[in-house]
Parts: sequence; C-alpha cells; structure tokens
Amino acid sequence: MYGCTGRCLRVNLSEGKHSVEEIDPELLGKFVGGRGLGVKVFSDEVDPKTDPLGPENKLIFVSGPLVGTGAVTGASCNAVTKSALSGAIACAKMRGHFGAELKFAGFDMIIIEGKAESPVILSILDDKINIRPAFESWGRTTSETEVVFKRNLEDKWAGRETYLVSIGPAGEKLVPLANVINDGFLCVGGAGIGAVMGSKNLKAIAVKGSHSLSIADGDRFVRVITNLINKLNSAPLTSQSMRAWGSAFFTGICYQKGVLPYKNFQAAAFAESKDIGTEALSNAFALRSSGCFACPVACIKKTDVSNPLFRGKGMAPTYLAIGALGLNCGITDLTTIGMANMICAEMGLDPIAAGGTVATAMELVEKGIADRDALKLELRFGQGEDLLQALTLMATKKGHAKRIGKGGDALAKEYGQSKRFMGVKGMPMAPFDPRCIQGMGLHFATCNYGPHHLYAYTFFEEVLNVHEELDPWSTEGKPELVKRYQDMTAIMDSLGLCNWPLMGLKFNNFLPMINSCLGTDYRAEDLLRIGERIWNQEKLFNMGAGFDHTHDTLPGRFLNEPIPDGPAKGQISKVHEMLPKYYDLRGWSKRSQPLPETLKALEL
Amino acid sequence: MPRIKIDHDKCTGCRHCEIACSLNHVTGVANPRRARIRVFREGNVFFPVIAGPFVDAACTSKLNVKIGGQVYDMCLLCRASCPQKPFFIEADTGFPLKCDFCGIPPNPSCVRWCNSGALELIDD
Repeated sequence: MYGCTGRCLRVNLSEGKHSVEEIDPELLGKFVGGRGLGVKVFSDEVDPKTDPLGPENKLIFVSGPLVGTGAVTGASCNAVTKSALSGAIACAKMRGHFGAELKFAGFDMIIIEGKAESPVILSILDDKINIRPAFESWGRTTSETEVVFKRNLEDKWAGRETYLVSIGPAGEKLVPLANVINDGFLCVGGAGIGAVMGSKNLKAIAVKGSHSLSIADGDRFVRVITNLINKLNSAPLTSQSMRAWGSAFFTGICYQKGVLPYKNFQAAAFAESKDIGTEALSNAFALRSSGCFACPVACIKKTDVSNPLFRGKGMAPTYLAIGALGLNCGITDLTTIGMANMICAEMGLDPIAAGGTVATAMELVEKGIADRDALKLELRFGQGEDLLQALTLMATKKGHAKRIGKGGDALAKEYGQSKRFMGVKGMPMAPFDPRCIQGMGLHFATCNYGPHHLYAYTFFEEVLNVHEELDPWSTEGKPELVKRYQDMTAIMDSLGLCNWPLMGLKFNNFLPMINSCLGTDYRAEDLLRIGERIWNQEKLFNMGAGFDHTHDTLPGRFLNEPIPDGPAKGQISKVHEMLPKYYDLRGWSKRSQPLPETLKALEL
Repeated sequence: MPRIKIDHDKCTGCRHCEIACSLNHVTGVANPRRARIRVFREGNVFFPVIAGPFVDAACTSKLNVKIGGQVYDMCLLCRASCPQKPFFIEADTGFPLKCDFCGIPPNPSCVRWCNSGALELIDD
C-alpha cells in the first residue's frame, strides 16, 4: 500500500483507552481515503438520527493518501462528524500541517468516541499516545492553547515540530457556530464541528511524527511534481493574484459580476469595494505569505499589525471574511474585518456561520422586527463595534448573546421570519449571490453540507473562466458542471488535495502525480466515479438524518426578489428549472432519492 | 563556487524542500525527518536551515540574535547537528545527515522545488 499508512487510531474518551486498528484495504480501494473513507466509516458506525452533541456521535480526522508525500498541495485533512448546526453530515477541510504530521505519526485516521469526564488533550507524539488533562488550557483561546501545550512539553525542540488542532471558548461552550482551528488557520466548512469536539470535552489534538511514507515510483513522482510546479508558476491566477493577496482578490471580480452580497443579500452592488481585496488589503496589513504543507501557491496571508483597533499576529482576511463578516454585515472597513476574522480564529468561530447569523440579526433589527432590548445587543448594519461585540459575546455565551449564538436559522424562526435567514439546511450561505451565478446556486441548494462554495467551486468556470467560458447568468450546461465539480471535489478531498490549484491546472494534470505516488492506474473517469460514490454515500446519511427534496432549495429572497441594483440588476435564481436535470444526471428520483439501480451501479 | 542563498522574508513554511530532499536522497521515501534541510517557525517567520557538519560535543556558548527587532535563539538558526538538537540525525539509525548539494555539479532539489523564492542557487 503506497501513500497510506493503513493504520487507524481509535480513542474512546469515556474509558480513556485507545487502540490501533488496520484499515480494510478493500475500503481504501473503494473510497480512496480521506473524506471518502471518513464518510464511509462514519455512516457505518453512527446512527444518522443521533444527537450531534451526545456521546454516541463520533468525530473522525482523516488524511488522504497523497497528504505528506510531497504531492503538490497535498495537505488536506478532513474532519467528519454530524454537524451541531445543521444536523447533516459535516466534512471540514483542514489545511496547514496537521494532516501531514498525522501521516508521519503513522496514522491515516483518528476516530474519537465517547465523552471525557473532564477536559483533555489527546497527544500523539510519535508512538507515545496519551490523553492528558487540559486544565491549564481550558477556557483559553486557540493560540494560547498552542503555547501552553508546547511549553509543558519537556523537550522544547519537540514543541517546534508539534502541530495542534484545537477549539476555542466557543467550542467549549457548545456554541453551534463553533469551528475547529488548526495551526491558526480557520478550517473550511467546519461550522458545528467545534461544538462536537467541545461536547466530548476534547480541547485539542497534538501530533508529531517521524515515520516515512513510501511512494510507488519515486523517480517519476519527482519529475511529475517539478513539472506541476512549473505549470502553476506559469498560470497567472496562481502565480500572481493568489500569491499576492490570497483569495481576497476575488472581491473586485465578484463586484464586477454583481456576485458580492451586501447587507444580508439585500443588495448586490457596492462601488467602493472595487479594490478592497487587493491594493487596499496590502495597504491595511503587512502581508506575509504562509503555505500549507507542500503548497507552491501559499495563498494564506499572515500579518503582524499593531494599530489602535487591531493588534497582534494572525490571518489576514480572506474573501470569506471580507464577504461574510464584512460586506454582508454592511462593513467595509478592512481593520474591523481583519479584527473580526482574528476573533473568529482565536475564539474558534466559523466566519461564514457567525457572519451570516449576525447579518440575519442585523436585518431583523433594521426591519424593526427585533429590537435592541430583545436581543440585549446593539446590532446595526455597517457598525463595526456592534459586530465585534456580538462575535465576542456569542463565543463566550456571556451577557445576553445566547439568543444569536444559536445560529441564524434558530433566531429567524424565533421571530417567525425564516425568510430573512439566508442559508440552506440551517447553514448560513457563503458570500456569493446565487442569483447571478446560477451554477453555484444549484450547488448551494443540493450540497450535502449546506451552502458552502468550496465543495464545488464552479466559480472558476462561471466567473473566472479558467478553463471554459460559461455565462454565469445562463442555466445552460450548469447541472452537468455542478455534478462534475461536486464529484471532482469529493475525490480531490479524499486524495488530500486542495481545490485552489484548479485555477492553474486541469484535473487531468493531477493524474500522473496520483498514479506514480499510489502505484495505481486510475483514469479521470474512474476517479470521478469514486467521487460520485462518496457524494451518494453522504446523501444516504443525510436522508437517514431526515433531509429530503424540500431541503434542496434556496431562501425565498433568491427565488422571488430580483437583484435591485448593480451589474446583475434584475437577475433571479432559476434553481428549480435546473433541479430535475440535476436529479436525472445523478440517477436520483424526483424526490431527491438515489434510485436502487444508481446505488447498485455505485456498489453502495 | 555556487552557494544557496536563503531569504527568510520570502519563505512560506510549506516544507516542500524537506520532502524534495528526502525523495532525492532515498528514492520513494517521503519523510521530513530524513531531510538535510529543515524549516523552523518562530511567530510568523520561517527559517530554512540546511544541515552543516556533525559535531560530537555541544557548544558551551549560547547566543541570542536580534533580527528586525525580534530576538531569536541562535540554536534555531545554527546548521550544526549537535547532541543538543534532535535534527539532522536519522531517527531509526542515528546516522548524522549533511547537505551534499545533491551531487556535482550542484543542482539541489530543495532549490528546484522552492516556489517562494526563499531558496536560490547563486554563483559568486
């Protein structure tokens, strides 16, 4: 078995015991590893109707077979569980160095079961696996947790090589918007996972390892990677824009196409936002690139800033932060957005979920439905202090922020205003207006994890036109595009690759790398087929959890209210026109259920 | 004689150089602990360190260096593999590792894979 270690660590926190198991090679062949393996093991072991915050729920961290081998952008580790926010399956992508270090420690997967009696930290330092008490770090922010853990290690050099994934105060207090934080990075799509980790009284997992990974055809692998690095270097988006500003540079492009939301998706245009993600970002922060393991693009921007409002070291805002925490709450000041992003990383909140919730609350206040006294919080569009205060209170459950800490969906329902919550399956929407980017709209409606763009980034084709020139307003060819991207993302996550290189490479370019590393003979169709199998497996879990075709839709605002202004004025989402075609392509019934013959063909 | 120039300002800490080194010296084995270049992090700054000579005894003088207003432990930047540091020593055999410039003429694999511009081969 090349690439994989073939071992899995099962930790039962209730009993304080752990055991090492072999992973079934047949399962690895069918699901490759990473997200696919995690989803399969999770759906086999956990009842879909289980309480996400109960001890029966499990939490799986799983690295793909290409992670740590040096494959270009092979850094992605997936966290699989049942989300506390939506109740659907959740599969976050953690980049950084944690996944690779887990492989070097000799494990592909960690399964966490039960609930510890008191707060603990799981530490895996080479072959020394133990569960330590976490009294010192409980209640601390994520960066403090890291420092405290490393300081307590006897060997200071070991601390330099240890990587942590931890939760902040939000996860400890079981706030459903909580995320897990890995090495200072906000993990992608992790809303609701922090609370699951908190419910198990698990503060952090630390790993360090010194085992080797073997590669099938080492000489060819090295040649292929050198070639891929050169290709990424000659593509303008990956070599210039992403390297200079990270994903924040999308802001200008999104503005031009009208995709940029404003004030809880009430408007789509905002003229001043033209260079908020590019020149203005460089001016506001001293940007420093930071790369995930084996990534030649290095899109993550770290910053050291000290000014009256923003002090410290952390991640500079990405497009998600600018869109969800900034413009969607009516805020354009970059310092405030940067600080809000830092609060999210330190407190362990998910920026999309937290931003979406605050924006919903702001709209309720603006429309006079909720008032200051009811929320016990001042929340007005465009007021930076209101946002920062709400985020801190939400994370610590202090004061009277419990109400909005439950999430945007619960808050809007409480006031009988579900239509003012912009999200699907209880999950707030990523900052892309689906009315003027139809493919993304279809993906948001059908995604198993809720409306998160990074599970099918059709944006590359529809707006950036990297490989194909597609009209974002038209529905033509979109169901095919969405299905292809969803399957492709599923398989790339399972292998452990990041999606960003698709801005410079085609999926086929990865094949020589995958095959020379794993010693396999995959063609693109084979891999997309495995991706489809993974997507259907997740769908089956969600069906068991009570999700059906009525959840495959978008909020009423996108279906009924045309965009009032901006470059895409008058556009409306045509998701219901595309759904029958999409179900047809997937081999699902009209009620969004996989047909028996589809499942049989996929060997499920 | 050619030499490798290291620019700390450009390093992104992706550790691709470690894997490049490991794959180049032992075909088909990826393991940063067997690499002759390691990247250490201090705050937001990354320090690539290339393995120098092995010494039997640890030095008795400890230094702190100040770079750009920050104080760093010199041991972090030092290239020697000494008994006080667990780096540049193969974990399973205990053999010391030293950079060999990937043979003659020098064509170091770490420089070839470094995309950030932190490592550069220069002639002086």
